[in-house]
Amino acid sequence: MALSLLYYAQEFLRGEWAKKFLAAKTAPLVTPPHFRNYPELTGKTCTHQLICMMACPAPGAIDVVMTPEGWKPRIHIGHCIRCGLCVEACPNGVLTSGRILESMFYDNTKLSFSFRIDVDTEKCMGCGNCAVACPVNKLIDAQMSHGGRASTDDLLLKVSEGKCHVLHVEKCTGCKTCENHCPNEAIRVARLLEAIHSPEEEL
Amino acid sequence: MTLLQSLKNIVRSKSIHVAYVDVGSCNGCDIEVLACLAPRYDIEQYGIYVHNNPREADVLLVIGAYTPGWEEKLQSLWQKIPDPKVAIAIGNCPISGCLFNRPHTLVDPPVSKHIPIAAQVPGCPPRPTEILSAILSVAPTVFKDFEVRK
Repeated sequence: MALSLLYYAQEFLRGEWAKKFLAAKTAPLVTPPHFRNYPELTGKTCTHQLICMMACPAPGAIDVVMTPEGWKPRIHIGHCIRCGLCVEACPNGVLTSGRILESMFYDNTKLSFSFRIDVDTEKCMGCGNCAVACPVNKLIDAQMSHGGRASTDDLLLKVSEGKCHVLHVEKCTGCKTCENHCPNEAIRVARLLEAIHSPEEEL
Repeated sequence: MTLLQSLKNIVRSKSIHVAYVDVGSCNGCDIEVLACLAPRYDIEQYGIYVHNNPREADVLLVIGAYTPGWEEKLQSLWQKIPDPKVAIAIGNCPISGCLFNRPHTLVDPPVSKHIPIAAQVPGCPPRPTEILSAILSVAPTVFKDFEVRK
């Protein structure tokens, strides 16, 4: 009797035991290494191609700014949804997050971009704002008149017969300047993002 | 500090009552809050209880990008919570509107325009551990020595 009481006292009157009993908590869970957190800089040189900004699905989540060390992508926490598309899309590997870069290397995958421009012919008034504002058009024909009319057919956008026409959609860089300058919301740029498996075999 | 006050502090640190309100989210953050209740994260071991009744709550978790249907309801819900109270924005939506904050949408973020927000947990959705650590880090600063400070 006395022995068993002594045994119980030895077992339960320890301060450590009492503390554990009163404040039972599991150890805090650690973040696994494969977790895609906010993208971080790897230290590689950014060439200001802005592909990360084009791939980003969240408004205002990423921008590329000029710093004393050169161009640097900047992630806005509170806007970023941690999807990792900027990490995958960057051709220079400037950003890293989780195991995305490793899995891209092992799976041999790559993201490719193409763009589609839709002009709503019922809404289009043929004002030519889109064709004049387009930076790709500006490189091809710097002397384009204010109505968007031009003699050459090498342009991306051109106004003829009172409507805007898309001539060479493959030249589009997806900047959406035309969409922002359209007074009637007639032109829409759609971004087509495609993941390619083993890009060498495709070529 | 009196003995009574220190006793109150101990008790308050071990019982944080939480209500959550979804002011128009995609339901992703609601599921992450729900995951906190499940055995893997188990918030009750930290003394956090979810009642979902503003009259009993100390902490209000605001989820979502604030749709027009909440214009008067969120204010009155916030006034129903007895002092001391604190609101935490969960996810990107109450902070910036996230993906819903585009032209021609009706959402009106950030939620801090409508009720005072003490802490923000960014993420789309945030991890349950991030939600948990936000509640645990905000609660002591708000509830400790509440009567003495007033």
